[in-house]
Amino acid sequence: MTDIAFENQGKVLAEIAASEIVETIPSALIILDRNLNIVSANRAFYQTFRTSPGDTEGCHIYDLGNRQWDIPALRTLLESVIPHRASVEGFEVEHDFPTIGLRTMLVNARKIFSPGNLDGSILLAIEDVSEERAARADSKRNWQLTQSIVDTIRDPLVVLEDNMTIVTASKAFLTMFGITEAETRGRRVSELGQHQWDVPALRNLMDKVLPENKPIESFEIEDDFPGLGRRVFNLNARKISQPGNHAHRMLLVFEDITDRKQRERDAVTLANEISHRIKNNLQVIVGLIAYEAKWTAAPCVQGYKSMQTRIGAIAQLYDLISQSSKGPTIAVDAYLREIAKTMSAGLLGNTSGITIEVKAEALDIDPDLAVPFGLLVNELTTNAIKHAFPGGTGRIVLSVERAGDQFEFAVADDGIGMKEKDPAKIAEKRGADYVAIFVRQLGGTVVPFVVQEGSGTTIKVRLPFLLVPPVVPPGHVEGMAA
Amino acid sequence: MAVILIVEDDIFTRDMAEMMIKDWGHDTLSASDVEEALLLVKSPRRIDALFTDIYLKKAVLGGCELARHAVELRPELRVLYTTGNSPTNQMKALFVDGQHFLPKPYTPDQLQNSVRGLLAA
Repeated sequence: MTDIAFENQGKVLAEIAASEIVETIPSALIILDRNLNIVSANRAFYQTFRTSPGDTEGCHIYDLGNRQWDIPALRTLLESVIPHRASVEGFEVEHDFPTIGLRTMLVNARKIFSPGNLDGSILLAIEDVSEERAARADSKRNWQLTQSIVDTIRDPLVVLEDNMTIVTASKAFLTMFGITEAETRGRRVSELGQHQWDVPALRNLMDKVLPENKPIESFEIEDDFPGLGRRVFNLNARKISQPGNHAHRMLLVFEDITDRKQRERDAVTLANEISHRIKNNLQVIVGLIAYEAKWTAAPCVQGYKSMQTRIGAIAQLYDLISQSSKGPTIAVDAYLREIAKTMSAGLLGNTSGITIEVKAEALDIDPDLAVPFGLLVNELTTNAIKHAFPGGTGRIVLSVERAGDQFEFAVADDGIGMKEKDPAKIAEKRGADYVAIFVRQLGGTVVPFVVQEGSGTTIKVRLPFLLVPPVVPPGHVEGMAA
Repeated sequence: MAVILIVEDDIFTRDMAEMMIKDWGHDTLSASDVEEALLLVKSPRRIDALFTDIYLKKAVLGGCELARHAVELRPELRVLYTTGNSPTNQMKALFVDGQHFLPKPYTPDQLQNSVRGLLAA
């Protein structure tokens, strides 16, 4: 083979290879001559624009497909930009094509020169980025919508990236803390202001929100904030995700609870003040009784002492009620435990051989009935302590359990047992009159029991009231008529 | 027989406490606020124990402050606190070492037990 023949064969092979490469490229490619007539196009072009080589090759670019390529932006590129530059990249053309509809095209253009063609041809690579641009526009609209929602929320909030930097802050946040959006974006919450949020416990909690999907509920921070003064904030945070997007962000809401906190503190102060005055007044009453007892005949002194003890019990019950209270109701088990603890400390002491245990179901009691219930517990338990254990050792169990649609309260001891069946007949000795009155006040009944001397005593009282929260029918919405 | 300083801003309650404590054979001194009590503590008079209310007039934790000063001046002094409020952690943190506590309202028997325990400690 001659050198010329070898060279020609090489050229042919190179052209075939180039042609194959061009055909496999997913972007639409066309080559224009200097007059903007189409020399050739690749398969991707024909597929994208639903045309054929016969309708395309030799056609002027603007005349192609009923002049649908006669686009002002493309004219600008081809007539004003290309003549002065060897290449253009990322020229965006948006056009409503009759055959394929509205499209956004990214056009890369390059002048190509070959031996004997000094004017150069123009290679246009056209990439259809319509879907990407639509997705970007959707994302932008979503972001604007999100930002609008964020801005309408009254509580200040920020959205954080997974590296804990702020992506966006609500208007309420910017207004409250007197900072600009630029001052927040890209910064960590801990860096804001005078580093009031730079609290190790908060940092630890925030570090777990995204990786462990563990929300922060009501983290309280109290501090002095520039321009705001002393404030208390409740922080809540949770992970937010967008469908189809693997990136997660954190929504951090700052609830200003300063006023609420102050009201709570005022209420506690007032309650303490009232409690203090009540106790002092009860102390005066106990003092009056003590003074009377001083000049009373010896047989009556015990009665005065019992009166003083019961006044003390009422005062203690108010404390125990506040310790066992959970909103509008009082937890019976906690209340009984507090009573048991107080009676153990007051009547038995650390060295006593008598123990008081509590076995109670998780039930709630109406606060209005808590005092008579506490006095009933106090009376029965005091009786057991005083009379059941002449040897000084034993066990008392206070229990509350369901019994049908009622609740049964019991004081059981493993002492010497009662000799008299009817508690009312031993009123003078055991304060059973008080027991009867408290039971009647509570709307309950004493359960008859069998006396077995030497085998302890169990006194049971049926009470109808204990469980306070009403059963709400399914589907019922408070404040709406069924 | 011991000498007990009773500090209580309610006159009736203070007098009743004095009467009870004297009945049990002890001597008493009394004051109605921190200043008055400190004058007695700083005096050369014998005082074995301090029985003080915590909330003294306007001083919410006045009894705690008094006890701390009093124990600084008289390290051997025994202290029995009383109050109508539930003891808070802030209150307990101010208690002097080895203190005793008696919540109000207290009966004569409870006071007698507390005083007995205080003096025996």
